[in-house]
Amino acid sequence: MAPRTIKVDALVVGGGIAGMQSALDLADQGYQVALVEKQPSIGGKMIELSKVFPTLDCCSCITTPKMSAVAHNSNIQLFTYCDIQSVDKQGDGRFVAQVIQKPRYVDIETCTACRQCEYACPIDLPHPFDQNLGVHRAIYVPFSTAVPQKALIDIDNCILCGKCERVCPVGCVDFTQQPEELAIEATAIVLATGFEITPTDAKAEYGGGKLLNVVNALTVERLLAPTGPYGHVLRPSDGKEPDSIAYIQCAGSRDKSLGVEYCSRICCMYAIKQSMLISGALPLADIAIYYMDIRTFGKGYDQFYQTAKAMGVQFIKGKVAKITEDENQNPIVRVELIDEGSQVVERQHDMVVLSVGMVSKYDPRTIYDVNVAGDGFVDTPLTNVSPCVTSRPGVFVSGSAAGPMDIVDSIVMAGAAAAEAAAYIQATGPNGHGGGRSIAAGEEKELAHA
Amino acid sequence: MTDKKEDTKNRAAMLKSLREKHKETVEKTQALLKHNQSIRKQIRQAMQSGPMTVPEVAEATGLPSDRVLWHVTAMKKYDLVREVGMSGEYYQYELAQKENQ
Amino acid sequence: MPEKHDSKAAAKAKSSPKEEEVRIGAYTCYCGGNISDVVYCEKVAEALAKLPNVVVSRTDMSMCSDAGQAKIEEDIREHGVNRVVVGACAPSLHEQTFRGTVQRAGLNPFFYHHVGLREQDSWVHHDRVAATKKAIRLMSAGIAKARLLEPLEHIRLSAEKHALVIGGGIAGLRAARDISRRGLKVTLIERSPFLGGHMAQLESIFPTEEDARTVLHGLIEEVAADPNITLYTSSELTGVRGYVGDYQVQITQQSRGVDEDVAEEAMAACTLEVPDDYNYGLTQRKVIYKAYPGCYPPTPAVDWKNIPDGKLELKMNGKKIKLENKPKTIDVKVGAIVIATGFTPYEPRKGEYGYGELPEVVTMPQFIRLLAMAPKGEELVINEKPVRNIGFIHCVGSRQIDDVHEPQPDGEVNNYCSRVCCTATLHLANDLRHRFPDLNIFDVYEDIRTYGRGHEDYYIEASENRVVFLRFHGEEPPEVVASPDDDVSPVQIKLKDYLTWGEEVEVPADLIVLAVGIMPNPVDDLINLLKVSPGTDRFLLEVHPKLRPVETAVPGIVLAGTAQGPMTIQESCAAASAAAAKVSVLLSQGLVELEPYVARVDLDLCKGSGECVEVCAYEDAITLESMTIGGKEVKRAVVSPANCAGCGACVSACPNRAIDLQGWTLGQYQSMIEAIVAEIPAVEIES
Ligand SMILES: Cc1cc2nc3c(=O)[nH]c(=O)nc-3n(C[C@H](O)[C@H](O)[C@H](O)COP(=O)(O)OP(=O)(O)OC[C@H]3O[C@@H](n4cnc5c(N)ncnc54)[C@H](O)[C@@H]3O)c2cc1C
Ligand SMILES: Cc1cc2nc3c(=O)[nH]c(=O)nc-3n(C[C@H](O)[C@H](O)[C@H](O)COP(=O)(O)OP(=O)(O)OC[C@H]3O[C@@H](n4cnc5c(N)ncnc54)[C@H](O)[C@@H]3O)c2cc1C
Ligand code: SF4
Ligand code: SF4
Repeated sequence: MAPRTIKVDALVVGGGIAGMQSALDLADQGYQVALVEKQPSIGGKMIELSKVFPTLDCCSCITTPKMSAVAHNSNIQLFTYCDIQSVDKQGDGRFVAQVIQKPRYVDIETCTACRQCEYACPIDLPHPFDQNLGVHRAIYVPFSTAVPQKALIDIDNCILCGKCERVCPVGCVDFTQQPEELAIEATAIVLATGFEITPTDAKAEYGGGKLLNVVNALTVERLLAPTGPYGHVLRPSDGKEPDSIAYIQCAGSRDKSLGVEYCSRICCMYAIKQSMLISGALPLADIAIYYMDIRTFGKGYDQFYQTAKAMGVQFIKGKVAKITEDENQNPIVRVELIDEGSQVVERQHDMVVLSVGMVSKYDPRTIYDVNVAGDGFVDTPLTNVSPCVTSRPGVFVSGSAAGPMDIVDSIVMAGAAAAEAAAYIQATGPNGHGGGRSIAAGEEKELAHA
Repeated sequence: MTDKKEDTKNRAAMLKSLREKHKETVEKTQALLKHNQSIRKQIRQAMQSGPMTVPEVAEATGLPSDRVLWHVTAMKKYDLVREVGMSGEYYQYELAQKENQ
Repeated sequence: MPEKHDSKAAAKAKSSPKEEEVRIGAYTCYCGGNISDVVYCEKVAEALAKLPNVVVSRTDMSMCSDAGQAKIEEDIREHGVNRVVVGACAPSLHEQTFRGTVQRAGLNPFFYHHVGLREQDSWVHHDRVAATKKAIRLMSAGIAKARLLEPLEHIRLSAEKHALVIGGGIAGLRAARDISRRGLKVTLIERSPFLGGHMAQLESIFPTEEDARTVLHGLIEEVAADPNITLYTSSELTGVRGYVGDYQVQITQQSRGVDEDVAEEAMAACTLEVPDDYNYGLTQRKVIYKAYPGCYPPTPAVDWKNIPDGKLELKMNGKKIKLENKPKTIDVKVGAIVIATGFTPYEPRKGEYGYGELPEVVTMPQFIRLLAMAPKGEELVINEKPVRNIGFIHCVGSRQIDDVHEPQPDGEVNNYCSRVCCTATLHLANDLRHRFPDLNIFDVYEDIRTYGRGHEDYYIEASENRVVFLRFHGEEPPEVVASPDDDVSPVQIKLKDYLTWGEEVEVPADLIVLAVGIMPNPVDDLINLLKVSPGTDRFLLEVHPKLRPVETAVPGIVLAGTAQGPMTIQESCAAASAAAAKVSVLLSQGLVELEPYVARVDLDLCKGSGECVEVCAYEDAITLESMTIGGKEVKRAVVSPANCAGCGACVSACPNRAIDLQGWTLGQYQSMIEAIVAEIPAVEIES
């Protein structure tokens, strides 16, 4: 049987904040959009965060309604837990993507996310969503605000005992599900495949990922999130509430030895944000930030930095040479204090946070035939005036797939990618709508009275 | 229409054949389950005596405290333990009612 | 034009839900801890459940999540809830979200009321018990209003498929092109006689090392050739009426001054000279001028700014000719407006770091021009003097601190980072290093903020290429003084250098370049005309940096580029394209929707006395019109919903209580007040 074919104007790859915003900005102009996400839920990295700078809005307050808007927009078809296998250009200039829908082993139509299956399942697994500090079961709803809010089975960690199937009140567990093929035909493609944090174990000087109380900043986001693994800020070695926390800036950025010479541009701000949030949660905790340059360059960001200083967060210009730990697993930071005549000291903290940077998550070269720059992110040859245009006509890039950027910049760029894609569809697409949704006769005149 | 018994039988057979198919991962996961179950048992036993902190459980069981924390976190998520106040810099946990069975 | 407001529809709206039993769903959101950290949400829910008409009372970690919204939908569909009240963040964040939820479940979207528990309660109180009680009161008031909610419809208006873009810098050009590429018409106005804005004054640009004007003209050519775009140079916005979808704008254009065919000749003949703003006043140019060779439009223009009486006499081919500025006005109807008025480099005070007093001190924009004009050779020669030591000072006019820096004329310091100057400085330093290998380059900074893609490379290169860095603390800015000992160098920078033990150092310099920051172009006229707001940093303010980053609070008015805040060219273009996408969303359907929160007149009570018309601040929003009622010719107040801002001034002015605000009626207010002061349902709140 030939795979099901979906015909749309634009294919958006990646359902993080950038992909969602590009999809919404295209759909709201009247274009048909397919959004393909490889994870079981959309939301990207942003949905893992606690509160977000510079407004300190609760992150779910911004992300979850967008996720919901994507799910309910009649011009967007959402495909989660899907892998795009190949993309070809057809004779008419349109792209066709071959997509595999991975089996969830749960019928997505009938599942109500009651989570009875999850409670019945005997297998506890580290949950990547909680940076492995929390757990999920072999059958699970990805997280409380997931879209779609549906269970799935991690088949590689399942003993096929069938307990879930027995308790499911609507009988939606289906161990026989097979991968499904489908084809998506689109005039334009928007790549919004996002970023990955620098692996914490990359740097031997910082413990190589082996020191339990040296954590990456994404872990702290989970500790701070009300839905986080502990529900409190506790250190992972023993659950102690930390009194003294240190941030190490540029951990994995601006670092030739790791091949990441660039600045990741978000880590100064998130470290400051987390410091403020920790000060709120643990008013007595001492927080020190070891930095080389504080890069709070965005709108309102330097003011944010000044606020943190006034709150008592210590900013210490220093180069951290090494992190070790004592017998109680307290990290010990060896640091050259630049403002104090470059003397080298050792300081003990309860927990150390590595302000990890952003590296490219996905290499699109083989499938999408676009160039990637030396930094691993999608190349934008006309970067000054057309920052979303890639080396391949019809393929555009949105958000942090084009280099480190924060949410504000990702959202702006997502709008720009939507503008580029829309212009391209308008100019070339056989399905181009010539200005968006057409207006029914008389509608223009119609004025509803309130 | 198949009757209920038939259905159960079919399903059991289907699961069995699937287990055969995924033999490697199933066996690996079964080993993990067994390991976790023995840890859980130790933790539950230690906690019989009342609310405890993670280091106290670790001390009582001889398990590494980060592992204890992970399991307590898991048990908390699925309502098997409850958090009850703090002792010094640590939260205390006690077994939830239904954990006694 | 929209039709006038129909009072029959209003009357219908008033009476419709009568028969139906009011079944309220009350939802108290944790707001991911923002509310629940202070308010005992479960207790609030418990108390609300006891109120009349409340059939469902729930809480959720985030009501706005898909799962949260699904609960509401389910309650509507399955529990017959027909009015919904959510206590959560600010209405500006999620009122729309929940209206959508309610609508999806089949209810009129205005059967929804939003209570701002976060801003009005949990963010401003610490006492948990008191905050919980307050939450109950606020929610009770919301519920009281919900009992009286009426079904309303959005006001739908046809929209002009045409946008106005103000400002012809890179951001305005980008926005104009992207709107046009979606098939919409664009009117682009530029205040100066030439396009390009500040980008035209740059030479090579980071991060690509491309030539600024080559890149700029690529876009200018597209704009010039675009039949959808009408360009007016020497033009400003001088009048606006209307509302989103139908703005009637008035543009005032100064004369170009000379006819195209004789313009070149006239320019040659012109003798009157003024400071050349293209070179930041460092050189002189004629008053009939081209901004730079190759500028667009190519025709020379008369600089009327520098000719106060608007009249210029010229001798051409022995003939005397008289030129006169005859400004003309142009009226255009547009559906949306893009503000791309850009920035202006910070102009240091006289004496600030020696600026304006010591000739060896210039700003970076000036230096870029000086360098472009400098003789080519082995040695850097500026103003005929060789430069052996050059010093850059960062953050001039940026990152200022109260009590350390002198405030700007408006009393505020510039406490923001200007974002582009660090990279621009290092980009320039490297360029100098390549061209003048023996030059000593000093860079005096606080933090180096080469954040962008490709920016850090400039820092690395500079560090590896003998650029000497010195670091000051913001509280102790460096000083520029004339050298006591003129033999070494004419000026020096004094600072405590924190890269070397906080030691006092004196950096000798022949030239000091101030890396001045970015200030918004003054746009008070636009702020008044368009009712947009600036932030405390004076840049124009977006609604929300994440949810609606390029929109202003005024429907149909969006921002592009550095009018909103410091940005690079790339960021200005991204913002401009995003603004274009918003305009396209708004206008490509040819229809816009407005909130129905407008005044309505009860014709039975109106006596036509007209107090309402007098107090109304909005043009054409409420008028007295003749009509026949009961066979008699009378005057009655009539509201034009599209023009009405819903401010309620007329409501209080009406002596007959004939006017009410839809969605916020006097009755609803009264019920809310009564609920706020009433006894709250008894619940035990832990302390
Ligand atoms: C610790 C930390 C704290 C932060 N705090 C803040 C903050 O407070 N404020 C702020 O503004 N920013 C913050 N950020 C930055 C913010 O997370 C990013 O700006 C934002 O998430 C980028 O969104 P994105 O959509 O570009 O990428 P992502 O969030 O990475 O989304 C990409 C999506 O694409 C999917 N995907 C990837 N490859 C494929 C593929 N081949 N096929 C299909 N789907 C694919 C991924 O699964 C993912 O869902 C923080 C970042 C970190 C690490
Ligand atoms: C020294 C320096 C060096 C820089 N170097 C670089 C670099 O190398 N790379 C880089 O990416 N960025 C650089 N930048 C930043 C870059 O200049 C800006 O990002 C860009 O020029 C902003 O464009 P814009 O369109 O927003 O504003 P502008 O260029 O200021 O354009 C605004 C336009 O609007 C017009 N206008 C203003 N008010 C009105 C009105 N009321 N009505 C009609 N028209 C109006 C103005 O006349 C002007 O033409 C540099 C900036 C500085 C100061
Ligand atoms: S943003 Fe700050 S911490 Fe992150 S790489 Fe840049 S300078 Fe370092
Ligand atoms: S970009 Fe650099 S020079 Fe400019 S204000 Fe920011 S820190 Fe100062």
